[in-house]
Amino acid sequence: MRSRKIPAAIAAAAAASMLLASCGGGSADDGATTGTLDFYTNKAAWEPDFDELNAQSEGDVDISLNTTGYSDAAQYDAFIKQSFRTDKSPGLFTWQTGPSLSELVDEGLVAETTDIWTKAVDEGWIAEDLKEAYTFDGKQYCVPMNVAYWVMYYNKPLFEEQGIAEPTTWAELDAAAEKLKGAGITPYYQTSTLFTFPWFQQLVAGTDPELYNGLATGEVKYTDPRIVEIMETWRAQQEAGWFSDAGSTVDPAVGLKQGDFAMINFGSFFNGSLDGAGMVSGQDYDMFVIPAVNPDLGTTPVAVESGPLCVAENSSQKTLGLEYAEWWMSPDAQTAWSAARGDVAFNPQATVADPILEELGTTVAGDGYERYDRYYEATPTPILTVALEQFGAFIANPGDPLPFLETIQAEADAYWADQG
Amino acid sequence: MTSDQTTLNRPEERLRRSSGPDRAAPKRPKDPFARSAAGFIAPGVILVAVLLYLPLLWTTFLSLTEYNGLGDPEWVGFANYLEMFDDPGFIGSVLNTLLWVAGTLLVPVGIGLGVALLTWNLKGGTWLRLPFLIPYALSGIGVGVIWSFILSGDGALDQALAAFGIQDTPRWLVDAPLNTVVMILATAWQGVGVNALLFTIGLQSIPKEPLEAARVDGANGLRLFRSILWPMLRPLTAVVVGLSIVASLKTFDIVQGMTKGGPGRASETLALTMYKETFVNSEYGLGSAIAVFLTVVTLAASILYLRQQLSSKHGV
Amino acid sequence: MPFKHTARIVRTAVLVVLGLFWLLPVYLLLVNAAKSPETFTTKESWIPTDFSLLANMAEAVRLSGLAESAASTLLYAVVSPAIAVVVGAAAGFAIVALRLRHGFAWFVVVFGGTVFPLQMILLPLFDAYSRVGLFDSRTGMIIVYTAISIPFSAFVMRNFFTGIAHSVFEAAVLDGASTWRIFARVYLPMASSALVAVFILQATFIWNDFLLGLVLSQSDTVRPIVTSLAGMQSTYGGAQMSTVLAGGLLVSLPTVVLFLFTQKFFARGLALGQY
Repeated sequence: MRSRKIPAAIAAAAAASMLLASCGGGSADDGATTGTLDFYTNKAAWEPDFDELNAQSEGDVDISLNTTGYSDAAQYDAFIKQSFRTDKSPGLFTWQTGPSLSELVDEGLVAETTDIWTKAVDEGWIAEDLKEAYTFDGKQYCVPMNVAYWVMYYNKPLFEEQGIAEPTTWAELDAAAEKLKGAGITPYYQTSTLFTFPWFQQLVAGTDPELYNGLATGEVKYTDPRIVEIMETWRAQQEAGWFSDAGSTVDPAVGLKQGDFAMINFGSFFNGSLDGAGMVSGQDYDMFVIPAVNPDLGTTPVAVESGPLCVAENSSQKTLGLEYAEWWMSPDAQTAWSAARGDVAFNPQATVADPILEELGTTVAGDGYERYDRYYEATPTPILTVALEQFGAFIANPGDPLPFLETIQAEADAYWADQG
Repeated sequence: MTSDQTTLNRPEERLRRSSGPDRAAPKRPKDPFARSAAGFIAPGVILVAVLLYLPLLWTTFLSLTEYNGLGDPEWVGFANYLEMFDDPGFIGSVLNTLLWVAGTLLVPVGIGLGVALLTWNLKGGTWLRLPFLIPYALSGIGVGVIWSFILSGDGALDQALAAFGIQDTPRWLVDAPLNTVVMILATAWQGVGVNALLFTIGLQSIPKEPLEAARVDGANGLRLFRSILWPMLRPLTAVVVGLSIVASLKTFDIVQGMTKGGPGRASETLALTMYKETFVNSEYGLGSAIAVFLTVVTLAASILYLRQQLSSKHGV
Repeated sequence: MPFKHTARIVRTAVLVVLGLFWLLPVYLLLVNAAKSPETFTTKESWIPTDFSLLANMAEAVRLSGLAESAASTLLYAVVSPAIAVVVGAAAGFAIVALRLRHGFAWFVVVFGGTVFPLQMILLPLFDAYSRVGLFDSRTGMIIVYTAISIPFSAFVMRNFFTGIAHSVFEAAVLDGASTWRIFARVYLPMASSALVAVFILQATFIWNDFLLGLVLSQSDTVRPIVTSLAGMQSTYGGAQMSTVLAGGLLVSLPTVVLFLFTQKFFARGLALGQY
C-alpha cells in the first residue's frame, strides 16, 4: 500500500511545483533610492573591484553594492533568466550585448534606461555610437558596465631585441611575425578551447567589415569563397608556425611574460592580468591596434566588447538599480572604476590611471577607427557554439578549411530557417 | 500487495526473493517489522524524493517541450529526442562516455583493490594507504589546475620526459582519444583512494575464522583471494563498481575544466553535451532530453548490475 | 616464516614506490603554490624557486573573501553528512535487517537519487528554494547537502549490513530489544568503520562542493568556501595561477587533516565474530 501512495504523492507534488513554476515571479518596486543594492555578475573575478567602488558610491549617491559573483558564465545566464520568475529578480546584473540582450528586451524583462542615456549623451559622458548596441525600437535598455577594445599586446623586450617597431600596416605585421619566427620566437598566441575566434574575427573584419556584418546577420555564408580565402590565409600562417602550441594550457599572461609567444590578441582588460603576473605596463609589455588586413579600408576596424549593466523590470530594487546605473555613467564613477579595475573608461571625461590605456582610449575614439561588435556577442548563440568548436578543431589540426566552414554553415542554415 | 516474508533463518533465500520486483509469493497475514521498516526507510526516501526527484520530474517535463529559459515552455512531444539522436556529435559523446565507463572500471577500481589488498593486515598499512587518499582530500580547484599544468604542451609531464631524453611527446590534451585517456588517468589519481578505503572496509568485515581455516589448509596468495577474499568482498565490490559506473557516466568537471570537450567536440561526454545545450545554447528542451537519456541509461545499468550482484546466491 | 617476511617487504616496497609516484602531483602543487606570481614561469615546474606560499594564501583569501565562508562550510560539512550517514544506515537497516518488502525496489529508489547529473536539478531547485524561503539560507544548504549524501551512504551501509549475520538481529529480538534499540546499540556500533568512511568521504565532498553553493546561495556568510574560491579564476583577470593553487591548498587543509586523524578507525579489523 505504502509503496503505491508515495509515487502518487510525488506526482501530485510535481504537478503542484509545475503550476507554481508557471506563475510569474517578481515583486513590486519598493521605490528606495538609497541603501544596499543586490548585484549579480558573471565576472566574479572583479568582485574585489566592485567592493572597492562602494566607498565612492556611498559618498556620491548613498548606494553600496552587495556583489554575488558567478564564475561559470553559462550557468550564470541560466540563473538570471530563472530569477526573473522569482522574487529574487536582480536589482542590478551584468549581461551581454547582442542577441542575448535582445531576448530579454523582447520579453519585457529589463528596465528602460532611455532617460539615463539621453542625459549621459547630453553631458558628453559617452560616445553616441556606443548607444546602438543598447537600443531596441528606439529605446535604450541597460548601461555599459565596461568597454574593452580587442588589441594586440606584445612583449616589449622581445620586440626591442628583434628591432621591431609597432606595426602600422598589415604588411608590417606580417613582416614582424616572419622576423620573430626566423629568430625562433613564436609570433602569436592561440588556444583551442573557448577563445578560438579572435583571429578569425580579426581577419574577416580587417578584410571587409561588410563581410563580417553579413556573417552576423546571415546574409553571408561561412562557405562564401571570400571567407574560404581568409581561412586559407589563416591556414598558411598556421603552417608557417606562427601560432603557439594549441595544447598549451599556460595562463596567457604568463605565456607572454616568459616569451612562449611575442603577441597576443586580447581585450584591454588584459592589463590587469599582466600586471598581476609581474609585468610592467609600457615597459615589459605594450599594445597596438591591429592594422586592417585590407590597406584600402578608409578606417581601421577595432573589435569592441561592451558588457551591459542591467536592471530587472520586475525587481523590488528597480528604482535603486536605475539610480546606481545613472551614477555609474558619471565621470567620478568611471574614474574610480578605471582605477580599481585597470581598464579603459567609456566616459571621455573620466581619468584613466594607466597611460597606455589612456592612450588607447583616445586613439580608438578618434577618427580613422571604426568600432565593431566582437564576434562573441555579434553571433547568435547556437551558431557561436558550433563556430567556437570548429575553430578549435581547426586550430588543433589545421587543414582544408571547407569541412569546418560547412559544419558551421549547416548550423547557421538551421538557425536562420528557424528565425523565419 | 504481496508479502514474501520467509523464515528468518534463511537469509540468502530471502535476499534473492526480495530483489525481484514483482515476484509473487504466498500471502502472509502479518509482517512483524513492516511498520518499523517503513519508518526506518522513510526519512531517506522522503528527502531524496523531494529534493532530487521532484526537480528531475520538471526536467522530464521540459524534455518534451521547447523552452529557452524565458517565457513558457511549448509542448513539442518527442521532437527533442529525435533531434538528439540525429546529431552526429551526440554519437561521439556517447562513445566517449563509454570510454570513460570502461576506463574508470579498469584503472581506479583495479588499483584501488590492489592498494587495499596490499595494505591489508600490513604493519603500517594505514600510513602507506595515505598517499592515495590525499588526492581525494584535495580541493577540486587545485587539482584541476595542477593537472592541466602537468598535461599542458611543454608542461610538467613533458619537462619530466625531456629530462629522460624523450622529446617527441604527443599533445596530451589535443589529440583524441588520447585526451580522454589522460583525463581518465587524472580522475583515477583522485579516485583510487576512495576505492581503496571502501575495499578496506570490506576486507575488515571478513570474519577471522574462515580465513584462519583457509590458511591452515595452506591457501595463500591468489588462491586465498579467489576462494575467500573475493567472494567475501562482494558487497563492497558492488558498491565500488556501482558508484564507478554512475560517476563515470556523469563525467563532467574534469573535462569541462581541461578541454571543454574539445578540440571541436573530440572529448565531449554526455554530461557536457547536456550542459552545452542547456546552459550555453539555452536549449532547455534538448538539454533535458539528453539528461533524461543519461538518467535512464545510468539507472538501467545500475539496476542490471546491482540486481545481479546483490541478489545472486550470497549477498554476503 | 621467511616467505611471509619477504612478502611483507615486497608489499611495502610496492606501496612505497606507488605512493611516491602518487604524491608527485601533490609535490607539484606545493612547489608551484609557493612561487611568487611576479616571478612565476611554467618553464621549470619541478624546481622550487621561492617561498611565497603564505603570501599567496593571504592573497587568495583577500580576492575570494573565503574567510567569511569558512564557518558555514564547516557547519554544512559536519551536520549534513552526520545526518545523511544515520539516515542512510537506517535505510540499509530497514532493507537488510528488517527485510522491508520490495527492499531492492526501495533501495533503487534511494540510490536513484545519485544517477542523474546534478546540473539538471539546479534550476528547479533554485526556483523552489526561492519560493519557500530556503534560498540563501544555511538551513536550505544543510537540507540539500543531506539529501545529496543519502544515496551514497544508504548504498554503502546497506551493503555493509549484509555482512552481518541475520542471527545477530534475531538474537536481539529474542532479548526483547526494540528495533530502534537494535539499530542504535547493535548495528551502528558494529558499522563504525563504515560510518566513519562514509562520513569523511561525504564531508570532503560537501566541503569541496561548488555547484549547489553557486546556485542556492548568494551572501558571503552562506556561500560555501569553494564557490567563493572558484570566483577568482576567470578569463577576465583575477588571480594568478600560484594564487589559485595556494587557495586550493588552503581550503584542502581541513580535509587532509580529517583524513589523517580518522585513519586509526581503519587500522584495526572489526570484531564481527563476537556477535
